[in-house]
Amino acid sequence: MHKSKKGLEIILFAVAAVLAVLFFFPVYFSLISAFKSNGEILRNAMALPSSLYLESFKYLLTKTDFPKAMLNSLILTTVSILFMVLIIPMAAYAIERTGKKWTNFVYIYYLSGMMIPFQVYMIPLFKEMRTFGFYGTLTAPILIYISGSVGMGVLLYTSFIKGIPAEIEEAASIDGCSRIRTFWQIVFPLLGPCTASMVVLQGLGIWNDFLMPSLVLHSNNRTMIVEIFKFVGELASQWDMVFAGTRI
Amino acid sequence: MPNANTLGVTTNTKAAAKKKTWLSFSVLFILPSFILYTLFVIYPTLNSFNLSFTNWDGVSDEIHYIGFDNFVEMFHSERVYNALKNTVILSVALVILENILAIILAMLVDQVRWFKNLLRSIFYFPVLLSGIVMGFVWAIIFNYNFGVISQLLDRIGLSAYKIDWLGNPNYALIAILITTVWKGAGYYMIIYLAGLQGIPPELHEAAAIDGASRWQQFRHITFPLLAGAMTVCVMLSMIGALKIFDQIAVMTDGGPGFATETLTYIVYKVGFGELRQGYGTALSLVLFILILIVSLIQVKLLRKREVQM
Repeated sequence: MHKSKKGLEIILFAVAAVLAVLFFFPVYFSLISAFKSNGEILRNAMALPSSLYLESFKYLLTKTDFPKAMLNSLILTTVSILFMVLIIPMAAYAIERTGKKWTNFVYIYYLSGMMIPFQVYMIPLFKEMRTFGFYGTLTAPILIYISGSVGMGVLLYTSFIKGIPAEIEEAASIDGCSRIRTFWQIVFPLLGPCTASMVVLQGLGIWNDFLMPSLVLHSNNRTMIVEIFKFVGELASQWDMVFAGTRI
Repeated sequence: MPNANTLGVTTNTKAAAKKKTWLSFSVLFILPSFILYTLFVIYPTLNSFNLSFTNWDGVSDEIHYIGFDNFVEMFHSERVYNALKNTVILSVALVILENILAIILAMLVDQVRWFKNLLRSIFYFPVLLSGIVMGFVWAIIFNYNFGVISQLLDRIGLSAYKIDWLGNPNYALIAILITTVWKGAGYYMIIYLAGLQGIPPELHEAAAIDGASRWQQFRHITFPLLAGAMTVCVMLSMIGALKIFDQIAVMTDGGPGFATETLTYIVYKVGFGELRQGYGTALSLVLFILILIVSLIQVKLLRKREVQM
């Protein structure tokens, strides 16, 4: 009995190890490839780099728009996230605590947006951005990201606010605290865990997004992911650049 | 501060004033998100109904209404049927494969004794990487001439079995499928893992004392109790499958021919590649309706299951 349990454990571990190798391989492969020249990748994709080839990194940082693209990605992500965690908890709090018919309607109105995939309204949105004159600037993706996250965000925050006892706020209001101050000084800090998961989820999504920035940004104002995409098309598949780009 | 002027008033008007500040406060708090959301999600969505009746190219200022022509063309287009077929194949295959693999991974990470955390990180890591970047990596792995798989087969003398994964219409969709499963499974694994850890160990102990085999324990305890996690995962993977884009853009660009075009991809290709945005929006409405139907069916199934339990 004892022996068979040990055997099973070893088998389970072996299976897990094999799967882990399979899962990790593409990551390992892109890692080693970042330090190889284009020729070396094409000759021998699997081998470890023969020498530490850093030319691709040098080229990327000095001769291309890559640093600017990185900065763009960073600005886009931080600004969007900042506005998201200001606006969405505010709305969620008002919806959850007011509890009137019209706030219920707003809630359903927000949630219905979760069912609409970006591709459905992408073309009219693109047209709208041109009309407003946001097209090509960083403002456009920021506005689109914030608006697009409202449905999911309000769902997350309202369910979280439900779990916060209303007595805390009543106590604050008896002490003469205004609604706005109650929210910012008492409720908002309590939403920390929810905000953290919002930041991670949305931040990752925005940082890695390709479709949207490739549509609404000018070619001299790309984000990092769009810039990486460009290396394959325009520079006739400079794989060394691609891999180096992905490692930064 | 809105409350400051209510201080010295009699109780009755004070209550009314309080109600009023409460209302203005709610409106104030909801307004910013309401404006943005209406302007940049709801309005363009409604506008797509309007645009779908035009032959707008996306660039010119002139927009001509052409009635139902876009929809008529769509229903006669082989390409659209093919994209619909690909979308359905990908969605069904993805939902099944991702969920099975995710359950296996979750059980392994839950049961294995050594390197638990390392294993979990390795399985989860692909989720964090961008679809574009990982699409590139897999494009090289699958490459016919110098790809990793081809080089491996060359080395062990099986060159005859090399497959042009991305260039052959029969295999390109499979390559996309493998990439997507690899990228997504870790995400669902985390949800299943949470579900597994919520199952009280006493249940398994009691079953073991009653002489239930490991398979019976899985079949009658673990699996039914994972139902909650499963509903979430199936729904998320289904939505994810309908929206799949990055991998296709990088690995095949919808090709070879139209072999890997999905509905989401065709909307993008027609709208921005071929500059037929009127037709593109008409197609996007079909996608919208498809997603609506799928969600409604899932909600219905979900309810049914809840009744049973």
